[in-house]
Amino acid sequence: MRRTIASIALVVALIPLAACSSTNTNSSGTAKTSEAASSNKNILLITNSLGEEYWTASANAVKAEGQKLGYTVTVTSHNGDNKKESELVDAAIATKPAAVLLDPANADGSIGAVQKLVDAKIPVFIVNAEINKEGLAKAQLVSDNAQGAALGAQQFAKELGGKGTYVQLNGPSSDNNAIARANGFKSVLSQYPDLKNVQTQSIPWDTTVGRNTTQSMLQAHPGVNAVLASGDGFAVGAVAALLQAGEAGKIKVGGFDGSPQAVKYVKAGYMFYTVLQPVVEFSAKAVDEADQYLKTGKTGADAEKQLFNCTLITPANANKYTGPYTLSQ
Amino acid sequence: MSLSRAKVRKPSWLSGGFDLRSVLLEGRAFFALIVILVVFSVLSPNYLTVSNLLVMSQHVALYAILAIGMLYVVLNGGIDLSVGSTVGLSGVIAGFLLQGVDLPGDVRAFPSVWVTVVCVMAVGALVGLVNGVLVSRYKVAPFVATLGILYAARGAALLIAKGATYPNLQGFSEFANTGFNRVGFDKILGLPTGVIVMVVLAAVASVVLNKTAFGRWLYASGGNERAAELSGIPVKKVKVRVYVFSGLCASIAGVILTSELTSANPTSGETYELTAIAAVVIGGASLMGGSGNIRGTLLGAFVIGFLADGLIIVGVSEYWQMVFKGVVIVLAVVLNTIQYSPRRRARTDRPAGGEPTMQDSKTLVATSER
Repeated sequence: MRRTIASIALVVALIPLAACSSTNTNSSGTAKTSEAASSNKNILLITNSLGEEYWTASANAVKAEGQKLGYTVTVTSHNGDNKKESELVDAAIATKPAAVLLDPANADGSIGAVQKLVDAKIPVFIVNAEINKEGLAKAQLVSDNAQGAALGAQQFAKELGGKGTYVQLNGPSSDNNAIARANGFKSVLSQYPDLKNVQTQSIPWDTTVGRNTTQSMLQAHPGVNAVLASGDGFAVGAVAALLQAGEAGKIKVGGFDGSPQAVKYVKAGYMFYTVLQPVVEFSAKAVDEADQYLKTGKTGADAEKQLFNCTLITPANANKYTGPYTLSQ
Repeated sequence: MSLSRAKVRKPSWLSGGFDLRSVLLEGRAFFALIVILVVFSVLSPNYLTVSNLLVMSQHVALYAILAIGMLYVVLNGGIDLSVGSTVGLSGVIAGFLLQGVDLPGDVRAFPSVWVTVVCVMAVGALVGLVNGVLVSRYKVAPFVATLGILYAARGAALLIAKGATYPNLQGFSEFANTGFNRVGFDKILGLPTGVIVMVVLAAVASVVLNKTAFGRWLYASGGNERAAELSGIPVKKVKVRVYVFSGLCASIAGVILTSELTSANPTSGETYELTAIAAVVIGGASLMGGSGNIRGTLLGAFVIGFLADGLIIVGVSEYWQMVFKGVVIVLAVVLNTIQYSPRRRARTDRPAGGEPTMQDSKTLVATSER
């Protein structure tokens, strides 16, 4: 009986302690987090696929900018899989970084992962692709795919003199960026009635699939004048197909991304242009905004969603391409 | 074992007896190919042209080379899931060597093209050797062992390439390592190099399977490994060698693909192992081991390739393409099951008295060994 009373008393005595710690975080929450934050110099980048140059360039930009500002940057990747992304987020919450930079696997599917981070009081900065919910992440920094696609399409129409036939390679229909670019192309090219799209195929962002699909489309439509591609991954494959058919330079390709291989082909005259995504720029900016937020509580940007303009790379300015996804001034 | 005393009842709706049905089953890959050629040439005038047939054959050749290696492994009763990653790894190794290798002592080595190809093939064989040793000596299930190597090889490719693509495969004339285009990009006598390699490899593989002791060992150990072992066949050696051969085929396919694309991408080859397995299955091989031939495997690869390219030429959406490919594979597996099902024969052969026949006991031994 005495032991029971003692144990109950012990438990009752411990309750205020538990309440104590949680009220601490709540009341002096902001002060405590920013104290912790200024001493916590770890930033985590969860990116898409470290097997693609585009994301490697993004990761390198984040690391470089992070180091400049005195942070330690850790990089992991989810390869476009929501479940893997969720697991990486759980691991992140356990290691408590000062901020998380996330390239979401899916505009809707990743909202849950972002919510988890927000609930764990870790500020989230979205890079490269959006999520369809505002108010969760502190900032969303993405390329303006619509502007870039329109830029590319205008150049495409100009190079063809506003008339001729072309085949189009779109990215997978499950990818929001692919859809945005396809719409961008359509909005510009529909204004040229003499420019006819004879076939469109949606394929993965893969070089071999691009090569195979282009070869088959060339067989189905001999005499086509050009290829419009919404990604350099398969644009490069299309050039390989044209090289093998002996048509490279006569039938040219329009690309999107600004990959080193594509710029090489622009210089060689196999591609009209490619559209450079400002991935290096906005990856570094994301680190800057994270740093600003951790120091002052504000990112310094006027809106959550920030669109960064794409730049056209043509034979005229291709020699300013000094590194992966980097166009010097 | 006494002979059947009861009359064997033939199905009345097949007046030719069992033969017509088995002819259709055996020749199903061939008939499927004919049907595909007819349907697509009707749907598009550009399908059955010489240039399109060459283009489609070039696409098929890659999967066919993978499938020939996969057939050897499947004949042994195993599976090799790592071939796709080996394709990617081979391309990366080729790219890495062609850029020039930094050696200790401020020296940069530029291996010539044929040395590069040999090195790549050695890497493929090594990956196969690892698979073979895991399966034969450490008794790891082939699915699990090759799945692990799938990840390891893909990771190795990404590590070596540091996530980037090697764009400069043309070599430098002052270092005498030009000519990589001859490995796949160029044509030989008007045919894509990959097609020539596929034909030669198929011929060699077929001769080995049909005319050599190793071929007999392979069929025997796949059909009934325990019995083969007891008959003195070195089943472990056979097992290791088939995985080495599969790795070798994958590296050959990888280096040809890299040459055709003129760039080496560490992510290339993903899911190619599934297409190779599908080709083997459509060609009539049994995934249990012991049955299958090169002719069927080649036909399977052609069926998949001509179907896939035909769908693009006709302009079908990528979702329907996936559905078609899946349906064809499932049909092939169902037909395989019908062809290799022991129940049919056992039921018609079993005498009224219920005494087991040779067929029954063979089935019993076979199933108990799995």
